[in-house]
Amino acid sequence: MSAGSAALSVDQRGTAILPGWLRKTARLLLGLVIAALVWEGAVRLLGIKPYYLPRLSAILAAMAATPRAYVDGFLRTLAETLIGFAAGGAFGVLIGIAFFRLRALREMIFPIFVVSQTIPVIAFGALVVLWFGNTLLAKAVIAFYLTFFQVTVNTLLGLETVDPKQVALMKSFGASPHQLLLRLQLPTALPHIFVALRLASSLSLVGAIVGEWFGDTTGLGVLLLQAMYTENVVGLWGALLASALLGTGFYAVIAAAERRLVFWGAEQ
Amino acid sequence: MLSRRHALAAFAAVALTAGSLPTSSSAAAETLTQASLRLKWLPQAQFAGFYVALAKGYYKAEGIDLTINPGGPNLLTENLVATGADTFGLSGGTDSVFAARDKGLPIVCIGVSHQITPFIFVTRKDGPVKTLQDFKGKTVTTWFTGANHVLTGMLAKEGIKADELKIQPQQVSVTPFVDGSVDVITATYYNEFYTIQSRMPKDSLKTFVAEDYGITFPRDTLIVSETTAKEKPDLVKAFLRASLKGWKDAFADPKGAVDTVMAVAPTLDRAQQEFMLTEVKRLMTAGKVAQNGLFWIDPEAIKTAHDFFLKYGVISKPLDLAVAYDASFIESLPVAERRP
Repeated sequence: MSAGSAALSVDQRGTAILPGWLRKTARLLLGLVIAALVWEGAVRLLGIKPYYLPRLSAILAAMAATPRAYVDGFLRTLAETLIGFAAGGAFGVLIGIAFFRLRALREMIFPIFVVSQTIPVIAFGALVVLWFGNTLLAKAVIAFYLTFFQVTVNTLLGLETVDPKQVALMKSFGASPHQLLLRLQLPTALPHIFVALRLASSLSLVGAIVGEWFGDTTGLGVLLLQAMYTENVVGLWGALLASALLGTGFYAVIAAAERRLVFWGAEQ
Repeated sequence: MLSRRHALAAFAAVALTAGSLPTSSSAAAETLTQASLRLKWLPQAQFAGFYVALAKGYYKAEGIDLTINPGGPNLLTENLVATGADTFGLSGGTDSVFAARDKGLPIVCIGVSHQITPFIFVTRKDGPVKTLQDFKGKTVTTWFTGANHVLTGMLAKEGIKADELKIQPQQVSVTPFVDGSVDVITATYYNEFYTIQSRMPKDSLKTFVAEDYGITFPRDTLIVSETTAKEKPDLVKAFLRASLKGWKDAFADPKGAVDTVMAVAPTLDRAQQEFMLTEVKRLMTAGKVAQNGLFWIDPEAIKTAHDFFLKYGVISKPLDLAVAYDASFIESLPVAERRP
């Protein structure tokens, strides 16, 4: 019935969108190719010294020379980012709901959250190493630390935008607090939560990379640091490109999830 | 979680061996003791001997299951060793050991790696700086992690005050010096000096060496906590024995040692790492090492550095050097094993 018709409409929309989606991808790739050509050409024609900006081809060649380092680094940093992001996202939403429901808790804990966010992550990182050592967990904790607050604040903000008239209406039909939360409040807050998650996707990557600066052997942050301090500019760009790929990819996944889950977002 | 379980297992293993006969550490190979070495920096040829010893199983043969933890820009090895997060540490140098002891951190130096000052002050040969006197009014960049004291010490010997020149904190890159916006730059023999030479010819450079002004600044110190030194002397000796073997192998086969390091950090530049190992060997075998062996703690050099830091207010009070620098572990090993 209604589920079937919804599936059908998605299907129809899907087939209608596909060529456009392809076209978009083609445009994106074209843009990347043009940027790459401009980069390569500018460095060659203008004779830019390699320690200011190396040729793109030299960077890609260096990455291809030691692919293991970049692949291992990419996967390790990805794992740290994902764990920190998932923990930060889940904790942020749950604590946001708790703050919304229990005003006393919010007044007690929220100021502590704010204080925690004023501590520079660099100061915090040295402590995390003392507590967790050079583990994957230590980096995930830093990624968590950078993400949960955004999600908490936006969840709270989203929940507070719920129209009291809608709440009154649902209550008049005998909706339980549980039903209110799942059917009205969370869906209303979802666009706000996704804004925070998109922010958190890049922040969690920053957290993971900064975490790796406190002594580790694998990860994009390690490659960045190593290249930076040996003035290996080509290696620095290699690590930057790999980080950009990870960050953009992750952001795109979150944005795609947002488009699917908050399909009514366009109406706002 | 996992590391805590490991730590518990290591603790149990140590408690068991300590409870039974005082076994020689090589005989206790079946119960490996978990330990970690925190480096002062990221994996590179500066630490080749430790990586070689690990790769060749020298620590295992001594009954140690060693993990090498790299350092980073915001980590203080002394803190990590003092709190027990790491068992061994290769820390900044005599300066950081003094500073840590001055703050009351319970750490002990068990060996000194670089016997002479590993950094120099570099300027252009055709530039305005010909002597230390010419530093006046010039822009000098240095690290505020010890090198700054050497600079002020050298200047003081020539009667120059630090505020007569522009001393700025040195950033990562040597580019400001190569571009000419900085007159004098600080460089380690094994790292920045290489980078500078890759950008401008060596004979266009002039260097100022601390030793020429009567200052020696031994660096790269091996440290343990007071607890480890007191309760696990056999572990400390076993660690030193394995490390000595690793370093002697690294000096005998530098190419193989660089291979071992690059297996850990594949993006490093091989030529630079080979240069680094050559220079590190020179620093590690300088002074009295030919007679007394690697990781020698030279009491005179320590005393001179101590008095120097005291005079310039880097440390607030005189320190008990016999407690801060314990040569008994390294001296307990046969001198033939220690000689490079």
